[in-house]
Amino acid sequence: MAALGTSPTTLTDAADVLALLVLLSEFAMLRSSLSRSQVRLYAFQSLCVSVLAGFVAATRHIGELYGLMSMSFVLKVIVVPMIILRLVKEVRVDVTAGHRIGVATMVLLAIVLSIFGIFVVGRLPVHSRSLPILPLALAAAVILVSFLLVIVRNDVVSQAIGFFSLENGVSVASLVLAAGLPLIVELAFLFDLLVAVVVFALLMRVHHGRAGTLSTQALDRLRG
Amino acid sequence: MAGIELAPAEIQVLQDLTILVFAPFVSGAVAHLEGRLQGRRGPRILQPYYDIAKLFHKETLVPEDASWVFLAGPVVAFACYLTVPLLIPVLTQYPLPLGYMGDILGGGFILSLAGFAVGLAALETGGAYAQLGSSRAMTFGALIEPSILFVTFTVALVTATDLPYFEAAAVRSSLGQAIDPAHLLAAVAFFLVVLNDTSRIPVETHASTLEFGMIDEARTLEHSGPAFALLKWGSAMKQLILYVILINVFAAPWGEAGSRQVGPVLLAIPAFIGKALGVGAIFAVIDSSFSKLRLFKITEFMAVAFLLAVLAVLVLFLGAR
Repeated sequence: MAALGTSPTTLTDAADVLALLVLLSEFAMLRSSLSRSQVRLYAFQSLCVSVLAGFVAATRHIGELYGLMSMSFVLKVIVVPMIILRLVKEVRVDVTAGHRIGVATMVLLAIVLSIFGIFVVGRLPVHSRSLPILPLALAAAVILVSFLLVIVRNDVVSQAIGFFSLENGVSVASLVLAAGLPLIVELAFLFDLLVAVVVFALLMRVHHGRAGTLSTQALDRLRG
Repeated sequence: MAGIELAPAEIQVLQDLTILVFAPFVSGAVAHLEGRLQGRRGPRILQPYYDIAKLFHKETLVPEDASWVFLAGPVVAFACYLTVPLLIPVLTQYPLPLGYMGDILGGGFILSLAGFAVGLAALETGGAYAQLGSSRAMTFGALIEPSILFVTFTVALVTATDLPYFEAAAVRSSLGQAIDPAHLLAAVAFFLVVLNDTSRIPVETHASTLEFGMIDEARTLEHSGPAFALLKWGSAMKQLILYVILINVFAAPWGEAGSRQVGPVLLAIPAFIGKALGVGAIFAVIDSSFSKLRLFKITEFMAVAFLLAVLAVLVLFLGAR
Protein backbone atom coordinates (compact mmCIF):
# COMPACT_ATOMS: atom_id res chain seq x y z
CA MET A 1 0.00 0.00 0.00
CA ALA A 2 2.71 2.45 1.02
CA ALA A 3 4.64 1.82 -2.16
CA LEU A 4 1.50 2.23 -4.22
CA GLY A 5 0.56 5.40 -2.36
CA THR A 6 3.59 7.27 -3.60
CA SER A 7 3.76 5.96 -7.14
CA PRO A 8 3.51 8.73 -9.75
CA THR A 9 0.27 7.50 -11.35
CA THR A 10 -1.51 7.43 -7.99
CA LEU A 11 -0.29 10.95 -7.29
CA THR A 12 -1.54 12.34 -10.59
CA ASP A 13 -4.78 10.41 -10.08
CA ALA A 14 -5.32 12.15 -6.75
CA ALA A 15 -4.68 15.54 -8.38
CA ASP A 16 -7.08 14.64 -11.18
CA VAL A 17 -9.77 13.66 -8.68
CA LEU A 18 -9.35 16.98 -6.84
CA ALA A 19 -9.63 18.94 -10.10
CA LEU A 20 -12.69 16.88 -11.03
CA LEU A 21 -14.29 17.74 -7.69
CA VAL A 22 -13.74 21.41 -8.50
CA LEU A 23 -15.58 20.96 -11.80
CA LEU A 24 -18.38 18.88 -10.26
CA SER A 25 -18.99 21.46 -7.54
CA GLU A 26 -19.20 24.08 -10.29
CA PHE A 27 -21.94 21.99 -11.90
CA ALA A 28 -23.68 21.65 -8.54
CA MET A 29 -23.58 25.44 -8.11
CA LEU A 30 -25.09 25.80 -11.55
CA ARG A 31 -28.14 23.76 -10.63
CA SER A 32 -28.62 24.43 -6.91
CA SER A 33 -31.69 26.49 -6.14
CA LEU A 34 -30.78 27.79 -2.68
CA SER A 35 -28.38 30.69 -2.30
CA ARG A 36 -27.07 29.20 0.91
CA SER A 37 -26.19 25.87 -0.67
CA GLN A 38 -24.53 27.73 -3.53
CA VAL A 39 -22.28 29.54 -1.07
CA ARG A 40 -21.49 26.28 0.74
CA LEU A 41 -20.62 24.64 -2.57
CA TYR A 42 -18.32 27.54 -3.29
CA ALA A 43 -16.62 26.98 0.07
CA PHE A 44 -16.24 23.29 -0.78
CA GLN A 45 -14.80 24.12 -4.19
CA SER A 46 -12.32 26.53 -2.64
CA LEU A 47 -11.39 23.84 -0.15
CA CYS A 48 -10.61 21.49 -3.05
CA VAL A 49 -8.45 24.19 -4.69
CA SER A 50 -6.59 24.79 -1.42
CA VAL A 51 -5.98 21.06 -0.95
CA LEU A 52 -4.76 20.85 -4.54
CA ALA A 53 -2.35 23.72 -3.87
CA GLY A 54 -1.09 21.97 -0.74
CA PHE A 55 -0.82 18.74 -2.70
CA VAL A 56 1.34 20.35 -5.38
CA ALA A 57 3.41 22.06 -2.68
CA ALA A 58 4.05 18.76 -0.91
CA THR A 59 4.75 16.59 -3.92
CA ARG A 60 6.75 19.06 -5.99
CA HIS A 61 8.47 20.77 -3.02
CA ILE A 62 7.40 24.31 -3.83
CA GLY A 63 7.43 26.11 -0.50
CA GLU A 64 5.56 29.25 -1.54
CA LEU A 65 2.48 27.22 -2.37
CA TYR A 66 1.99 26.46 1.32
CA GLY A 67 1.56 30.18 1.82
CA LEU A 68 -0.91 30.33 -1.04
CA MET A 69 -2.76 27.33 0.35
CA SER A 70 -3.24 28.84 3.78
CA MET A 71 -4.14 32.25 2.38
CA SER A 72 -6.74 30.84 0.02
CA PHE A 73 -8.08 28.55 2.74
CA VAL A 74 -8.61 31.40 5.17
CA LEU A 75 -10.03 33.78 2.58
CA LYS A 76 -12.05 31.58 0.22
CA VAL A 77 -13.21 28.81 2.53
CA ILE A 78 -13.94 30.89 5.63
CA VAL A 79 -14.06 34.67 5.15
CA VAL A 80 -15.78 35.12 1.78
CA PRO A 81 -18.51 32.48 2.31
CA MET A 82 -19.18 33.93 5.76
CA ILE A 83 -19.61 37.44 4.37
CA ILE A 84 -21.94 36.26 1.60
CA LEU A 85 -23.93 34.03 3.94
CA ARG A 86 -24.42 36.94 6.34
CA LEU A 87 -25.63 39.12 3.48
CA VAL A 88 -28.04 36.42 2.29
CA LYS A 89 -29.34 36.07 5.82
CA GLU A 90 -29.83 39.82 6.11
CA VAL A 91 -31.96 40.13 3.00
CA ARG A 92 -34.00 37.04 3.97
CA VAL A 93 -34.21 35.63 0.46
CA ASP A 94 -33.68 31.88 0.46
CA VAL A 95 -34.63 30.60 -2.92
CA THR A 96 -32.80 32.09 -5.86
CA ALA A 97 -34.77 33.90 -8.52
CA GLY A 98 -34.51 31.01 -10.96
CA HIS A 99 -32.92 30.67 -14.32
CA ARG A 100 -33.64 31.47 -17.92
CA ILE A 101 -33.69 27.84 -19.09
CA GLY A 102 -34.62 24.46 -17.55
CA VAL A 103 -32.16 22.74 -15.25
CA ALA A 104 -31.63 19.67 -17.45
CA THR A 105 -31.05 21.90 -20.50
CA MET A 106 -28.67 24.00 -18.45
CA VAL A 107 -26.67 20.95 -17.39
CA LEU A 108 -26.57 19.62 -20.96
CA LEU A 109 -25.39 23.01 -22.20
CA ALA A 110 -22.73 23.04 -19.50
CA ILE A 111 -21.66 19.52 -20.53
CA VAL A 112 -21.25 20.71 -24.13
CA LEU A 113 -19.22 23.72 -22.93
CA SER A 114 -16.97 21.60 -20.76
CA ILE A 115 -16.43 19.11 -23.59
CA PHE A 116 -15.35 22.07 -25.71
CA GLY A 117 -13.06 23.41 -23.00
CA ILE A 118 -11.55 20.05 -22.16
CA PHE A 119 -10.88 19.10 -25.77
CA VAL A 120 -9.46 22.44 -26.83
CA VAL A 121 -7.17 22.89 -23.85
CA GLY A 122 -6.32 19.19 -23.71
CA ARG A 123 -4.94 19.50 -27.24
CA LEU A 124 -2.49 22.24 -26.26
CA PRO A 125 1.15 21.09 -26.22
CA VAL A 126 1.65 22.05 -22.58
CA HIS A 127 4.11 20.11 -20.47
CA SER A 128 3.87 21.23 -16.91
CA ARG A 129 6.33 20.03 -14.33
CA SER A 130 3.85 20.36 -11.48
CA LEU A 131 0.68 18.63 -12.67
CA PRO A 132 -0.63 16.64 -15.66
CA ILE A 133 -2.61 18.37 -18.40
CA LEU A 134 -6.00 17.09 -17.19
CA PRO A 135 -6.43 19.62 -14.33
CA LEU A 136 -5.69 22.42 -16.81
CA ALA A 137 -8.37 21.12 -19.17
CA LEU A 138 -10.79 20.78 -16.26
CA ALA A 139 -9.94 24.32 -15.16
CA ALA A 140 -10.90 25.55 -18.64
CA ALA A 141 -14.21 23.70 -18.26
CA VAL A 142 -14.72 25.29 -14.81
CA ILE A 143 -14.17 28.75 -16.29
CA LEU A 144 -16.63 28.14 -19.14
CA VAL A 145 -19.29 26.67 -16.84
CA SER A 146 -18.93 29.59 -14.44
CA PHE A 147 -19.53 31.95 -17.37
CA LEU A 148 -22.69 29.99 -18.10
CA LEU A 149 -23.66 30.26 -14.42
CA VAL A 150 -23.31 34.02 -14.55
CA ILE A 151 -25.25 34.23 -17.82
CA VAL A 152 -28.25 32.00 -17.13
CA ARG A 153 -28.90 32.63 -13.45
CA ASN A 154 -31.04 35.62 -12.65
CA ASP A 155 -29.91 36.61 -9.18
CA VAL A 156 -27.10 38.64 -7.77
CA VAL A 157 -25.83 35.93 -5.40
CA SER A 158 -25.44 33.46 -8.27
CA GLN A 159 -23.60 36.02 -10.30
CA ALA A 160 -21.26 36.83 -7.44
CA ILE A 161 -20.65 33.13 -6.77
CA GLY A 162 -20.11 32.55 -10.49
CA PHE A 163 -17.49 35.26 -10.52
CA PHE A 164 -15.74 33.93 -7.41
CA SER A 165 -15.69 30.38 -8.74
CA LEU A 166 -14.25 31.71 -11.99
CA GLU A 167 -11.32 32.79 -9.85
CA ASN A 168 -11.12 29.22 -8.49
CA GLY A 169 -10.84 27.92 -12.05
CA VAL A 170 -8.06 30.39 -12.77
CA SER A 171 -6.29 29.27 -9.59
CA VAL A 172 -6.32 25.64 -10.72
CA ALA A 173 -5.03 26.64 -14.15
CA SER A 174 -2.24 28.68 -12.57
CA LEU A 175 -1.29 25.70 -10.39
CA VAL A 176 -0.72 23.67 -13.56
CA LEU A 177 0.92 26.33 -15.70
CA ALA A 178 2.94 28.30 -13.19
CA ALA A 179 3.08 26.54 -9.87
CA GLY A 180 6.21 28.48 -9.00
CA LEU A 181 4.56 31.78 -9.77
CA PRO A 182 5.91 34.38 -7.37
CA LEU A 183 3.77 34.58 -4.29
CA ILE A 184 3.24 38.30 -4.82
CA VAL A 185 1.29 37.64 -8.04
CA GLU A 186 -0.92 35.09 -6.31
CA LEU A 187 -1.51 37.55 -3.50
CA ALA A 188 -2.57 40.11 -6.09
CA PHE A 189 -5.13 37.56 -7.35
CA LEU A 190 -6.52 37.10 -3.87
CA PHE A 191 -6.60 40.85 -3.32
CA ASP A 192 -8.64 41.16 -6.53
CA LEU A 193 -11.03 38.64 -5.08
CA LEU A 194 -11.40 40.71 -1.91
CA VAL A 195 -12.18 43.79 -3.98
CA ALA A 196 -14.77 41.78 -5.90
CA VAL A 197 -16.36 40.64 -2.65
CA VAL A 198 -16.67 44.23 -1.48
CA VAL A 199 -18.13 45.31 -4.82
CA PHE A 200 -20.60 42.44 -4.98
CA ALA A 201 -21.64 42.92 -1.37
CA LEU A 202 -22.31 46.55 -2.11
CA LEU A 203 -24.21 45.60 -5.26
CA MET A 204 -26.34 43.09 -3.39
CA ARG A 205 -27.21 45.58 -0.66
CA VAL A 206 -27.96 48.47 -2.99
CA HIS A 207 -29.95 46.29 -5.38
CA HIS A 208 -31.95 44.70 -2.60
CA GLY A 209 -32.50 48.08 -0.99
CA ARG A 210 -33.86 49.55 -4.21
CA ALA A 211 -35.72 46.66 -5.81
CA GLY A 212 -36.62 44.62 -2.74
CA THR A 213 -35.33 41.48 -4.43
CA LEU A 214 -32.06 39.88 -5.46
CA SER A 215 -33.32 39.05 -8.93
CA THR A 216 -31.56 40.87 -11.74
CA GLN A 217 -34.78 40.83 -13.74
CA ALA A 218 -35.93 43.74 -11.63
CA LEU A 219 -33.06 45.82 -13.00
CA ASP A 220 -34.85 46.84 -16.17
CA ARG A 221 -37.96 47.94 -14.33
CA LEU A 222 -38.51 51.67 -14.84
CA ARG A 223 -38.47 53.83 -11.78
CA GLY A 224 -40.20 57.15 -11.64
CA MET B 1 -12.79 -30.55 -0.06
CA ALA B 2 -9.68 -29.12 -1.66
CA GLY B 3 -9.44 -31.62 -4.46
CA ILE B 4 -12.93 -31.39 -5.88
CA GLU B 5 -13.32 -29.12 -8.87
CA LEU B 6 -16.62 -27.92 -10.25
CA ALA B 7 -17.32 -27.97 -13.96
CA PRO B 8 -17.85 -24.48 -15.48
CA ALA B 9 -21.45 -25.40 -16.26
CA GLU B 10 -22.06 -26.27 -12.62
CA ILE B 11 -20.62 -22.95 -11.50
CA GLN B 12 -22.89 -21.16 -13.93
CA VAL B 13 -25.94 -22.93 -12.61
CA LEU B 14 -24.74 -22.04 -9.12
CA GLN B 15 -24.51 -18.34 -10.14
CA ASP B 16 -28.09 -18.44 -11.35
CA LEU B 17 -29.24 -20.21 -8.21
CA THR B 18 -27.45 -17.67 -6.00
CA ILE B 19 -29.38 -14.85 -7.62
CA LEU B 20 -32.64 -16.81 -7.67
CA VAL B 21 -32.52 -17.92 -4.04
CA PHE B 22 -30.98 -14.91 -2.33
CA ALA B 23 -32.71 -12.07 -4.21
CA PRO B 24 -35.79 -12.00 -1.91
CA PHE B 25 -33.48 -12.27 1.13
CA VAL B 26 -31.52 -9.16 0.11
CA SER B 27 -34.77 -7.27 -0.62
CA GLY B 28 -36.18 -8.31 2.73
CA ALA B 29 -33.02 -7.34 4.59
CA VAL B 30 -32.95 -3.91 2.93
CA ALA B 31 -36.65 -3.37 3.70
CA HIS B 32 -36.05 -4.41 7.32
CA LEU B 33 -33.11 -2.03 7.69
CA GLU B 34 -35.14 0.75 6.11
CA GLY B 35 -37.89 0.19 8.65
CA ARG B 36 -35.37 0.33 11.47
CA LEU B 37 -33.83 3.54 10.13
CA GLN B 38 -37.26 5.14 9.97
CA GLY B 39 -38.08 4.20 13.55
CA ARG B 40 -40.37 1.31 12.64
CA ARG B 41 -39.75 -2.33 13.40
CA GLY B 42 -39.77 -3.13 9.72
CA PRO B 43 -41.00 -6.30 8.02
CA ARG B 44 -39.37 -9.63 8.79
CA ILE B 45 -36.24 -10.27 6.75
CA LEU B 46 -37.79 -13.40 5.24
CA GLN B 47 -41.08 -11.63 4.46
CA PRO B 48 -40.54 -11.56 0.65
CA TYR B 49 -40.32 -15.38 0.64
CA TYR B 50 -43.63 -15.66 2.49
CA ASP B 51 -45.21 -13.15 0.11
CA ILE B 52 -44.04 -15.04 -2.95
CA ALA B 53 -45.13 -18.41 -1.51
CA LYS B 54 -48.54 -16.98 -0.64
CA LEU B 55 -49.03 -15.50 -4.09
CA PHE B 56 -48.19 -18.81 -5.75
CA HIS B 57 -51.21 -20.34 -3.98
CA LYS B 58 -53.61 -17.60 -5.04
CA GLU B 59 -55.79 -17.71 -8.12
CA THR B 60 -54.91 -15.68 -11.21
CA LEU B 61 -57.34 -12.96 -12.22
CA VAL B 62 -57.10 -11.66 -15.77
CA PRO B 63 -58.71 -8.37 -16.89
CA GLU B 64 -61.49 -8.91 -19.40
CA ASP B 65 -59.79 -7.46 -22.47
CA ALA B 66 -56.34 -8.85 -21.79
CA SER B 67 -54.85 -11.45 -24.13
CA TRP B 68 -52.13 -14.05 -23.58
CA VAL B 69 -49.53 -11.26 -23.53
CA PHE B 70 -50.75 -10.32 -20.06
CA LEU B 71 -49.77 -13.75 -18.69
CA ALA B 72 -46.68 -14.22 -20.85
CA GLY B 73 -45.09 -10.92 -19.78
CA PRO B 74 -44.08 -11.95 -16.25
CA VAL B 75 -42.76 -15.30 -17.46
CA VAL B 76 -40.63 -13.71 -20.19
CA ALA B 77 -39.30 -11.14 -17.72
CA PHE B 78 -38.45 -13.88 -15.22
CA ALA B 79 -36.62 -15.85 -17.93
CA CYS B 80 -34.63 -12.72 -18.81
CA TYR B 81 -33.60 -12.23 -15.19
CA LEU B 82 -32.45 -15.86 -15.13
CA THR B 83 -30.35 -15.30 -18.27
CA VAL B 84 -28.39 -12.24 -17.18
CA PRO B 85 -26.50 -13.92 -14.28
CA LEU B 86 -24.90 -16.20 -16.87
CA LEU B 87 -23.13 -13.18 -18.37
CA ILE B 88 -21.83 -11.37 -15.30
CA PRO B 89 -19.24 -12.20 -12.62
CA VAL B 90 -21.32 -13.34 -9.66
CA LEU B 91 -19.04 -15.92 -8.05
CA THR B 92 -15.86 -16.16 -10.11
CA GLN B 93 -13.05 -13.83 -11.12
CA TYR B 94 -12.41 -15.65 -14.39
CA PRO B 95 -14.88 -15.63 -17.27
CA LEU B 96 -17.11 -18.68 -17.50
CA PRO B 97 -17.80 -20.11 -20.98
CA LEU B 98 -21.23 -18.51 -21.34
CA GLY B 99 -19.79 -15.21 -20.11
CA TYR B 100 -18.60 -14.57 -23.65
CA MET B 101 -22.17 -14.87 -24.90
CA GLY B 102 -22.88 -11.20 -24.26
CA ASP B 103 -21.17 -8.04 -23.01
CA ILE B 104 -22.48 -5.29 -20.74
CA LEU B 105 -24.64 -3.99 -23.58
CA GLY B 106 -25.97 -7.50 -24.18
CA GLY B 107 -26.91 -7.81 -20.51
CA GLY B 108 -28.49 -4.36 -20.70
CA PHE B 109 -30.54 -5.43 -23.71
CA ILE B 110 -31.81 -8.51 -21.91
CA LEU B 111 -32.77 -6.39 -18.90
CA SER B 112 -34.57 -3.97 -21.23
CA LEU B 113 -36.35 -6.89 -22.86
CA ALA B 114 -37.63 -7.87 -19.41
CA GLY B 115 -38.78 -4.29 -18.83
CA PHE B 116 -40.45 -4.32 -22.23
CA ALA B 117 -42.31 -7.57 -21.47
CA VAL B 118 -43.58 -6.22 -18.14
CA GLY B 119 -44.54 -2.93 -19.80
CA LEU B 120 -46.41 -4.71 -22.55
CA ALA B 121 -48.29 -6.87 -20.04
CA ALA B 122 -49.23 -3.69 -18.16
CA LEU B 123 -50.50 -2.06 -21.36
CA GLU B 124 -52.64 -5.15 -22.04
CA THR B 125 -54.67 -4.61 -18.89
CA GLY B 126 -56.30 -1.37 -19.97
CA GLY B 127 -55.98 -0.23 -16.36
CA ALA B 128 -55.21 3.48 -16.09
CA TYR B 129 -52.46 3.25 -13.48
CA ALA B 130 -50.75 0.24 -15.02
CA GLN B 131 -50.60 2.04 -18.35
CA LEU B 132 -49.36 5.21 -16.70
CA GLY B 133 -46.58 3.25 -15.01
CA SER B 134 -45.71 1.48 -18.22
CA SER B 135 -45.44 4.70 -20.18
CA ARG B 136 -43.42 6.43 -17.46
CA ALA B 137 -41.07 3.46 -17.11
CA MET B 138 -40.42 3.50 -20.87
CA THR B 139 -39.81 7.27 -20.90
CA PHE B 140 -37.42 7.32 -17.99
CA GLY B 141 -35.76 4.13 -19.22
CA ALA B 142 -34.97 5.92 -22.47
CA LEU B 143 -33.67 8.96 -20.57
CA ILE B 144 -31.27 6.95 -18.40
CA GLU B 145 -30.01 4.97 -21.40
CA PRO B 146 -27.36 7.56 -22.49
CA SER B 147 -25.70 7.29 -19.08
CA ILE B 148 -25.56 3.50 -19.37
CA LEU B 149 -24.05 3.84 -22.85
CA PHE B 150 -21.34 6.22 -21.65
CA VAL B 151 -20.53 3.96 -18.70
CA THR B 152 -20.13 1.15 -21.23
CA PHE B 153 -17.87 3.37 -23.35
CA THR B 154 -15.74 4.01 -20.28
CA VAL B 155 -15.42 0.28 -19.66
CA ALA B 156 -14.60 -0.25 -23.33
CA LEU B 157 -11.90 2.45 -23.28
CA VAL B 158 -10.32 1.04 -20.11
CA THR B 159 -10.26 -2.61 -21.12
CA ALA B 160 -10.50 -2.51 -24.94
CA THR B 161 -13.44 -4.89 -24.56
CA ASP B 162 -16.80 -4.46 -22.92
CA LEU B 163 -16.97 -7.73 -21.07
CA PRO B 164 -17.71 -7.10 -17.39
CA TYR B 165 -15.09 -9.70 -16.30
CA PHE B 166 -12.26 -7.66 -17.80
CA GLU B 167 -13.31 -4.41 -16.15
CA ALA B 168 -13.38 -6.22 -12.80
CA ALA B 169 -9.92 -7.67 -13.50
CA ALA B 170 -8.63 -4.19 -14.37
CA VAL B 171 -9.94 -2.80 -11.08
CA ARG B 172 -8.37 -5.69 -9.16
CA SER B 173 -5.04 -5.29 -10.94
CA SER B 174 -3.93 -2.18 -9.08
CA LEU B 175 -5.03 0.37 -6.54
CA GLY B 176 -4.22 3.06 -9.10
CA GLN B 177 -6.91 1.70 -11.40
CA ALA B 178 -9.40 1.57 -8.54
CA ILE B 179 -8.97 5.29 -7.73
CA ASP B 180 -8.56 6.34 -11.35
CA PRO B 181 -10.86 9.36 -11.77
CA ALA B 182 -12.53 7.91 -14.86
CA HIS B 183 -13.30 4.70 -13.04
CA LEU B 184 -14.65 6.56 -10.01
CA LEU B 185 -16.89 8.72 -12.20
CA ALA B 186 -18.22 5.72 -14.12
CA ALA B 187 -18.85 3.86 -10.87
CA VAL B 188 -20.79 6.77 -9.37
CA ALA B 189 -22.74 7.21 -12.61
CA PHE B 190 -23.61 3.53 -12.56
CA PHE B 191 -24.60 3.85 -8.90
CA LEU B 192 -27.12 6.53 -9.93
CA VAL B 193 -28.35 4.28 -12.74
CA VAL B 194 -28.90 1.47 -10.22
CA LEU B 195 -30.70 3.91 -7.94
CA ASN B 196 -33.03 4.68 -10.84
CA ASP B 197 -33.46 1.12 -12.06
CA THR B 198 -34.25 -0.35 -8.65
CA SER B 199 -36.87 2.41 -8.17
CA ARG B 200 -35.18 3.98 -5.17
CA ILE B 201 -35.99 7.22 -3.46
CA PRO B 202 -34.84 10.21 -5.49
CA VAL B 203 -36.77 8.70 -8.39
CA GLU B 204 -39.53 6.65 -6.85
CA THR B 205 -40.78 5.60 -3.43
CA HIS B 206 -40.60 1.88 -3.94
CA ALA B 207 -42.74 0.90 -0.96
CA SER B 208 -45.40 3.54 -1.51
CA THR B 209 -49.03 2.88 -2.35
CA LEU B 210 -49.59 6.31 -3.86
CA GLU B 211 -50.18 5.75 -7.55
CA PHE B 212 -49.38 9.28 -8.72
CA GLY B 213 -45.68 9.00 -7.86
CA MET B 214 -45.31 5.48 -9.17
CA ILE B 215 -43.18 4.49 -12.11
CA ASP B 216 -42.05 0.87 -12.05
CA GLU B 217 -44.35 -0.22 -9.24
CA ALA B 218 -47.52 0.85 -11.03
CA ARG B 219 -46.95 -1.59 -13.86
CA THR B 220 -47.75 -4.59 -11.72
CA LEU B 221 -50.95 -3.26 -10.14
CA GLU B 222 -53.28 -5.40 -12.25
CA HIS B 223 -51.41 -8.68 -11.81
CA SER B 224 -52.37 -11.30 -9.25
CA GLY B 225 -51.52 -14.83 -8.19
CA PRO B 226 -48.50 -16.70 -9.57
CA ALA B 227 -47.90 -14.09 -12.29
CA PHE B 228 -47.61 -11.40 -9.63
CA ALA B 229 -45.32 -13.67 -7.60
CA LEU B 230 -43.05 -13.98 -10.64
CA LEU B 231 -43.05 -10.19 -11.06
CA LYS B 232 -42.15 -9.60 -7.42
CA TRP B 233 -39.47 -12.25 -7.47
CA GLY B 234 -38.23 -10.89 -10.80
CA SER B 235 -37.90 -7.36 -9.50
CA ALA B 236 -35.95 -8.63 -6.47
CA MET B 237 -33.68 -10.54 -8.89
CA LYS B 238 -33.24 -7.49 -11.08
CA GLN B 239 -32.17 -5.53 -8.02
CA LEU B 240 -29.63 -8.18 -7.03
CA ILE B 241 -28.33 -8.43 -10.61
CA LEU B 242 -27.72 -4.67 -10.67
CA TYR B 243 -25.99 -4.94 -7.29
CA VAL B 244 -23.79 -7.67 -8.78
CA ILE B 245 -22.71 -5.42 -11.64
CA LEU B 246 -22.18 -2.48 -9.30
CA ILE B 247 -20.17 -4.49 -6.77
CA ASN B 248 -18.36 -7.13 -8.76
CA VAL B 249 -17.55 -4.99 -11.77
CA PHE B 250 -17.08 -1.45 -10.46
CA ALA B 251 -16.97 -0.99 -6.72
CA ALA B 252 -15.44 -3.99 -4.97
CA PRO B 253 -14.56 -6.93 -7.21
CA TRP B 254 -12.80 -8.78 -4.41
CA GLY B 255 -13.76 -12.04 -2.73
CA GLU B 256 -14.89 -14.04 -5.72
CA ALA B 257 -13.40 -17.43 -6.41
CA GLY B 258 -10.16 -17.46 -8.39
CA SER B 259 -10.28 -21.19 -9.07
CA ARG B 260 -12.85 -23.88 -9.75
CA GLN B 261 -12.36 -25.54 -6.34
CA VAL B 262 -15.53 -26.20 -4.39
CA GLY B 263 -14.32 -24.32 -1.31
CA PRO B 264 -13.61 -20.88 -2.83
CA VAL B 265 -16.68 -21.06 -5.06
CA LEU B 266 -18.97 -21.82 -2.13
CA LEU B 267 -17.23 -19.19 0.02
CA ALA B 268 -17.85 -16.66 -2.73
CA ILE B 269 -21.60 -16.92 -2.07
CA PRO B 270 -21.60 -15.53 1.51
CA ALA B 271 -18.91 -13.02 0.50
CA PHE B 272 -21.12 -11.74 -2.29
CA ILE B 273 -24.26 -11.68 -0.17
CA GLY B 274 -22.34 -9.74 2.49
CA LYS B 275 -21.23 -7.15 -0.08
CA ALA B 276 -24.77 -6.96 -1.50
CA LEU B 277 -26.13 -6.30 2.00
CA GLY B 278 -23.53 -3.55 2.40
CA VAL B 279 -24.69 -1.88 -0.81
CA GLY B 280 -28.30 -2.43 0.25
CA ALA B 281 -27.55 -0.64 3.53
CA ILE B 282 -26.24 2.37 1.57
CA PHE B 283 -29.44 2.37 -0.47
CA ALA B 284 -31.55 2.12 2.68
CA VAL B 285 -29.72 5.12 4.18
CA ILE B 286 -30.28 7.11 0.98
CA ASP B 287 -33.92 6.05 1.02
CA SER B 288 -34.39 7.37 4.54
CA SER B 289 -32.45 10.61 4.22
CA PHE B 290 -33.59 12.11 0.91
CA SER B 291 -36.98 13.08 -0.39
CA LYS B 292 -38.50 11.92 -3.62
CA LEU B 293 -38.00 14.21 -6.60
CA ARG B 294 -41.05 15.62 -8.31
CA LEU B 295 -41.75 13.66 -11.47
CA PHE B 296 -40.66 16.46 -13.78
CA LYS B 297 -37.43 16.94 -11.85
CA ILE B 298 -36.30 13.36 -12.41
CA THR B 299 -34.66 14.51 -15.64
CA GLU B 300 -32.30 16.59 -13.47
CA PHE B 301 -31.25 13.45 -11.63
CA MET B 302 -30.62 11.77 -14.97
CA ALA B 303 -28.68 14.78 -16.22
CA VAL B 304 -26.34 14.33 -13.24
CA ALA B 305 -25.78 10.64 -14.06
CA PHE B 306 -25.15 11.60 -17.68
CA LEU B 307 -22.72 14.35 -16.67
CA LEU B 308 -20.66 11.93 -14.58
CA ALA B 309 -20.59 9.30 -17.33
CA VAL B 310 -19.61 11.83 -20.01
CA LEU B 311 -16.86 13.25 -17.80
CA ALA B 312 -15.55 9.70 -17.30
CA VAL B 313 -15.14 9.27 -21.05
CA LEU B 314 -13.57 12.75 -21.40
CA VAL B 315 -11.09 12.10 -18.61
CA LEU B 316 -10.11 8.81 -20.22
CA PHE B 317 -9.65 10.53 -23.54
CA LEU B 318 -7.20 13.00 -22.02
CA GLY B 319 -5.56 10.47 -19.73
CA ALA B 320 -4.75 8.17 -22.62
CA ARG B 321 -2.58 10.75 -24.31
